[in-house]
Amino acid sequence: MSSDNTADTKPARTDAEMLARFQNSKKRPPCSDTLGMRLTEVEQDAKRIRMDFDVPQMFANPTGAVQGGFIAAMMDEAMSTCCIIASNVTMTAPTLEMKTSYLRRLMPGQAHVEARILKWGRSAAFMEADCFDHEGKLVAKATATAIPMAFKRLG
Amino acid sequence: MTPAEVRAHWMDVLTGDTTSFPRATAFLGFELIDIDIEAGWCEAWFTLPSAATNPGGNAQGGFISAVLDEVMSVAGSIVQPPPAMSPTLQMTTSFIRPVPIGQRLKGRGEVIRRGRAAIFTEGWLWDAAGKQLAGATASCIPRSLA
Repeated sequence: MSSDNTADTKPARTDAEMLARFQNSKKRPPCSDTLGMRLTEVEQDAKRIRMDFDVPQMFANPTGAVQGGFIAAMMDEAMSTCCIIASNVTMTAPTLEMKTSYLRRLMPGQAHVEARILKWGRSAAFMEADCFDHEGKLVAKATATAIPMAFKRLG
Repeated sequence: MTPAEVRAHWMDVLTGDTTSFPRATAFLGFELIDIDIEAGWCEAWFTLPSAATNPGGNAQGGFISAVLDEVMSVAGSIVQPPPAMSPTLQMTTSFIRPVPIGQRLKGRGEVIRRGRAAIFTEGWLWDAAGKQLAGATASCIPRSLA
């Protein structure tokens, strides 16, 4: 049972190896490509990652800014990947609930998200994420809860 | 504008040619069912494209938030004299069941309170059989575009 929770043990892969594994993955889900996602930093000790996005024009609302739900999609992507990395790629963590605060508008183009795990437990995980625009201004913040599950139990 | 004229304006914006929709709206497969400008609700069908698929084969959560944000923002907009919108300040989504890709889903957004400076909304997402898949609450601000 204790092997299910790998976050407190020594990483089996270095941060660079983990980053390479995701960057070179040929099994990216469609949502990652849709969002123009690229994992750019992994810090396993801090349970933190950074993802860069190239947000497409197709996510624009009537004002031309990115519709809030798609900002939530970017942060969900980052927080979920943070969970997979925390489990040393043995588990995924379907999101139960997510709360997003929209501080400023975000225009399509370059953006990045920093996500970290607040608690990685056996039956629940707590995460948070910050989304920044191309100038590094904070545009949104999110917190979420999720249930860690072994990969094979999915679908 | 009379209430009938306000309703006609919003119906025109929300139906019409889908190529005239904002791109985010078109991406989600939005098809209006009906609105009530006095009660402040909006119902619409959505069909999520395969581009929204997560590693488990269902919709990635953020796209579910996007669907709910869409109907909730319409509800927040139609209770104002047009043209107007209701930028979301904060939104909480509960992911109750997996949301399928490529199937018609029914969404509803409703205004819970229309204040002078703030609007509170609630949203629901059901599958075609009527099972609730997700829910959300949000706070937003009224904004006239006139």
